[in-house]
Order: sequence, then C-alpha cells, then structure tokens
Amino acid sequence: MTSLLATLFIHPLPIERHHLWLLPLCLAVALVYKTTKCAEVREIPVAALISWVTIVVGMYAVGAALWLLYHFAA
Amino acid sequence: MKQKTTQPPPAVRMVAAGLLAWFLPGAGHLYVGERARGITLLVVIALTFWAGVAAGGVKNTVNPQDRSLWFLGQICAGVHPLIAVVWSRHLTIPEGADPAGWISYGQTEEVGVVYTAIAGMLNVLVIFDVLGRVDRPELSQTRTGPARTPRRASA
Repeated sequence: MTSLLATLFIHPLPIERHHLWLLPLCLAVALVYKTTKCAEVREIPVAALISWVTIVVGMYAVGAALWLLYHFAA
Repeated sequence: MKQKTTQPPPAVRMVAAGLLAWFLPGAGHLYVGERARGITLLVVIALTFWAGVAAGGVKNTVNPQDRSLWFLGQICAGVHPLIAVVWSRHLTIPEGADPAGWISYGQTEEVGVVYTAIAGMLNVLVIFDVLGRVDRPELSQTRTGPARTPRRASA
C-alpha cells in the first residue's frame, strides 16, 4: 500500500487531455471559495456546484473566443 | 456571578488561528470551532495539492531553486509543500533509469505546478477568512437561523 502510494506521487502521470484537468481544479476553487463565503454550511454544496459550472463555462467560453480570434482574426 | 473564561486573549487567538491555518490548511477553522468548514478545507486543499504532485511527480513539482515565484504560491499551503520538498530532496533517480519517468516536462509539468500553486493561493483566502472569524462568534458557528444580518450602510 505504501509503495503504491509512493509510486503514485513519484512518477509523473501520462497526461494527454490536459484541458480536462481544468474541471477538478475549478471544483476545488469553487468549493474553497464557497466554504469561506456561505453563511450556512448546508448552502455550500449547491453554491459550489453553481459556481463550478459558472467558472467552467466561463473558462471554456474564453478559450473558444481566443481560439476563434487566433484562427480567423490573426 | 461571572464565569472565568479559559480562552486566550484575542490577539493570541488570532495569531494561533493564522499560523494553524497556514501550517495545515483547514486547521485554523477547526481551532475557531468551525468543524465542518475546517474539514472541508483540509480535504479539498490537500487533495488539490497532492493531485498536482501526482500529476507532475514529486521530484520537480515543488522546486524552490528553479521555480522560486511558483514556490511562493506553493509555500502558502503550509506543511504540504514542505513534505514535498523534503521528499524530493531525498529521492534519487536510480542510475540508468529514464529521467522522463521521474521528472515531468511540458504540459504535465505545468498541470502539476499550477495545481500546487493554486492550492497554496486558496489557502491564503482561507487564512484571511479564519482571521475574520476569530473574534466574531456570530460567524464562527454553523448557523441554522436566518441569513447574516445586513451590514449598516456607511455614512
């Protein structure tokens, strides 16, 4: 078990679709932010979920806009 | 008859909460009595940091020499980057081994570094939050009543 955990952290993961790593990162940001901001603990899951979706949609929209700008306007 | 309070002075509590929040993300909230928030922050920040280390490998994800500016963000996560630095110092790549299996490059490296640095920056937010809760018992309890009373408008 210990060697399995060590192996997990010692050898870098083979990352191919790196943009998918945005999803858990945004979830962490949304969870921490809403944990500090929500007045009641029971509000956190829903607020964090809404915040996560908003961040992800916003980031992909910015990415798509920049991609379009790069390919058609530049 | 007045009861004696056993709590330390507010300034001491604030310093203790801030240091605890830096050293172990979430511990500051546990210290001020915010158990659910503390456990949530402890788990989320630890998972984010170690997911970054797992992605980029412990050998060069937290690297104060080569990435000092990123390290400023990472060190805000307290004990996690300290463990990663000590671990990476004691980890030697075996002779004849392919370094690519131990050191990440390109996008893999970026994912690891960004995850760990963001975990640290999130802890800055957590530290400021816990400092604001130390002497505000109305914020330091899990409330079941109506939402927070609105602040008075400034003149």
